[in-house]
Amino acid sequence: MSDKKNNVILEEYDNEFSYKKSKTNLNIEFNRIAFILFIFLVISIIYSIQLFHLGSLKIQNETKPLISKENYRADIIDRNGNYLVKTVSSIDIGINPIEVIDKKKLLINLKLIFPKKDYMDISNKLKKNKYFYLEKKISADNYEKIMLLGDKSIKSEEKLTRIYPQKNLFSHIIGQIDDDNKGISGLEKSFNDKLKQIKKPLQLTVDTDIQFLIREELIKFHSVFRSKGSAAILMNINNGEIISMVSYPDFDLNKRETVSDVIFINRATKGVYELGSVFKTFTVAAGLDEGLIETETEFFNLEKKLKCGKNIISEYDKKIPPNLTVEQILIRSGNIGSVRIGQKLGIDKLKLFLDKIGVLNKIDFDIEEVGEPISFKWGKCKLATVSFGHGITTTPLQLAKGYAIIANGGFEIKPSLIKKSTGNNQDRKRVIKEGVSKKINKILRKIVTTKEGTAGLANIKGYEIGGKTGTAEKAVVGGYTRKAKVNTFASIFPTSKPKYVMIVLLDEPKTSEEYIYKYKNKSGSYKGTPFNTAGWTSVEVAGKIIQKIGPILATKYIEN
Amino acid sequence: MKKVTFVAIFILILTTSLVKNSTKEIEDKIFIVNENIRPLKSELGDVLLEYNYLSSPDKLTQYQNQYFEKDLIKIDITIIKKLIEKNNNILISDFIETTNNE
Repeated sequence: MSDKKNNVILEEYDNEFSYKKSKTNLNIEFNRIAFILFIFLVISIIYSIQLFHLGSLKIQNETKPLISKENYRADIIDRNGNYLVKTVSSIDIGINPIEVIDKKKLLINLKLIFPKKDYMDISNKLKKNKYFYLEKKISADNYEKIMLLGDKSIKSEEKLTRIYPQKNLFSHIIGQIDDDNKGISGLEKSFNDKLKQIKKPLQLTVDTDIQFLIREELIKFHSVFRSKGSAAILMNINNGEIISMVSYPDFDLNKRETVSDVIFINRATKGVYELGSVFKTFTVAAGLDEGLIETETEFFNLEKKLKCGKNIISEYDKKIPPNLTVEQILIRSGNIGSVRIGQKLGIDKLKLFLDKIGVLNKIDFDIEEVGEPISFKWGKCKLATVSFGHGITTTPLQLAKGYAIIANGGFEIKPSLIKKSTGNNQDRKRVIKEGVSKKINKILRKIVTTKEGTAGLANIKGYEIGGKTGTAEKAVVGGYTRKAKVNTFASIFPTSKPKYVMIVLLDEPKTSEEYIYKYKNKSGSYKGTPFNTAGWTSVEVAGKIIQKIGPILATKYIEN
Repeated sequence: MKKVTFVAIFILILTTSLVKNSTKEIEDKIFIVNENIRPLKSELGDVLLEYNYLSSPDKLTQYQNQYFEKDLIKIDITIIKKLIEKNNNILISDFIETTNNE
């Protein structure tokens, strides 16, 4: 028997396993929160990007024009917000016969929508297999009905239509556009790009009511004096805002006709004329500005005739005295006296003055139809003729500018048709010495109020009109013709505190045997026009215009 | 400190999300209003155009000739009067003051 012994040896087991903190320092709780926050951050960034994206989309939606981009053109309004031009989107409906499946069915459907149309004609057109217009400028109701037919042969075309509610009234200012939505004249041309870009209407300085009243008078006197054409400009002398600018004859912009006849020229800006005695004001103002003369300065032994080269310069008024003061020379419109003032000034000083007031060179204006004064060589004889307004040309617009500067205290202005948002805050740059305006305005008033003056017909009570007449014979080959004259009246009012300059020009007016002149500020009348001079024609027109527009100007523009 | 920063960021994100959500609703409303205004603007423009045409001096003169027997008259500026209220009294004076130039 073996003695088996089970020896159990108990050994102390040294368990080496023990829980230890991670050696990487990984904080699971912290990372979970951080991870969630990171996800939130990413989401918020995505939302923010989307938010910005939506924001930018919103702007696009807001600025999207009603009419497609290539057809868009901003409207034009007058100073009171009345539409002068409005772009209206219209739809033309055409039919492509090749795509018609059932001609009979189509004709029946069309008859239900347009019962008054000539369906024999439409049927013939369908047979010709050529694209044709069924209805131009279709109404919204009919457009919906015709589109509901769902016929593939029916095509709709979006078209741009410029509507001119005032018809002829602003034809020369606004101008025309072609079929490709491109301006071809007037503001439509010079502001072509701007009109396609701006979202708000283009506001002008003109006043529809005043423009209408002035045009009415021009039309009336066009038939009285049977003139070839006429023009009138009314401008604020302090800021150059043109309140009215009419050239007659004009044309209806809605008819979209090609205007090529020179009779329709814009006489106010494009017409270049010898304007005659209205230039004498400039000669006298230049003399006063240079300090060479005063209004009381006397000129003695003035001849009745002067010979300069081949030309003879004579007085229009044979009764004019030989001794005259500067004031009397201007009131009586003395040619020889003006020549003497011009000679005293000399070429350089007179030229410089005319240049300063902007009548010598082409004017920078809002429309491109602007005439360029004819350049000439200055000399002794030219100095003499220019002094009384002959042998020198300019446009009525530049004449208005010149008179505005002389009357407003001597400050530079820029005639404008576009209403500035800043109002009257133009830079006031002095070009004529202080005091000249007061002296000139006083004389201009006397031309209207005194018996010797040439503009008595414009002495309308309540308006203090002052001005200078100009009658110029038209130049023909080899000299001048007495038959064709340009009559101008350059006026300012009220002379005690001038606000407006108004130019009225009549191109080749004739005498009228029937017209009755009413005496101003006294009873009685005079029948028939004795002479086709400015004093009997353009002065009368200007007086009538101011009488009509005066109350509007005095009350409506009281704060200006 | 870290906890405060994270809580602040979290609140910021939460607020941004809430604000964004509410602005989206406002945006939608604005968009709808704008879309509704567009045709109204167009309609207003057309109505104004019609008004300008029908009330143009040319048309008014035409209506006057058509419907009234009396002619339109010019207003004499010298008969226009100015009313000034002073101490509960109304003073009437000429609109155009007569000057020595007249």
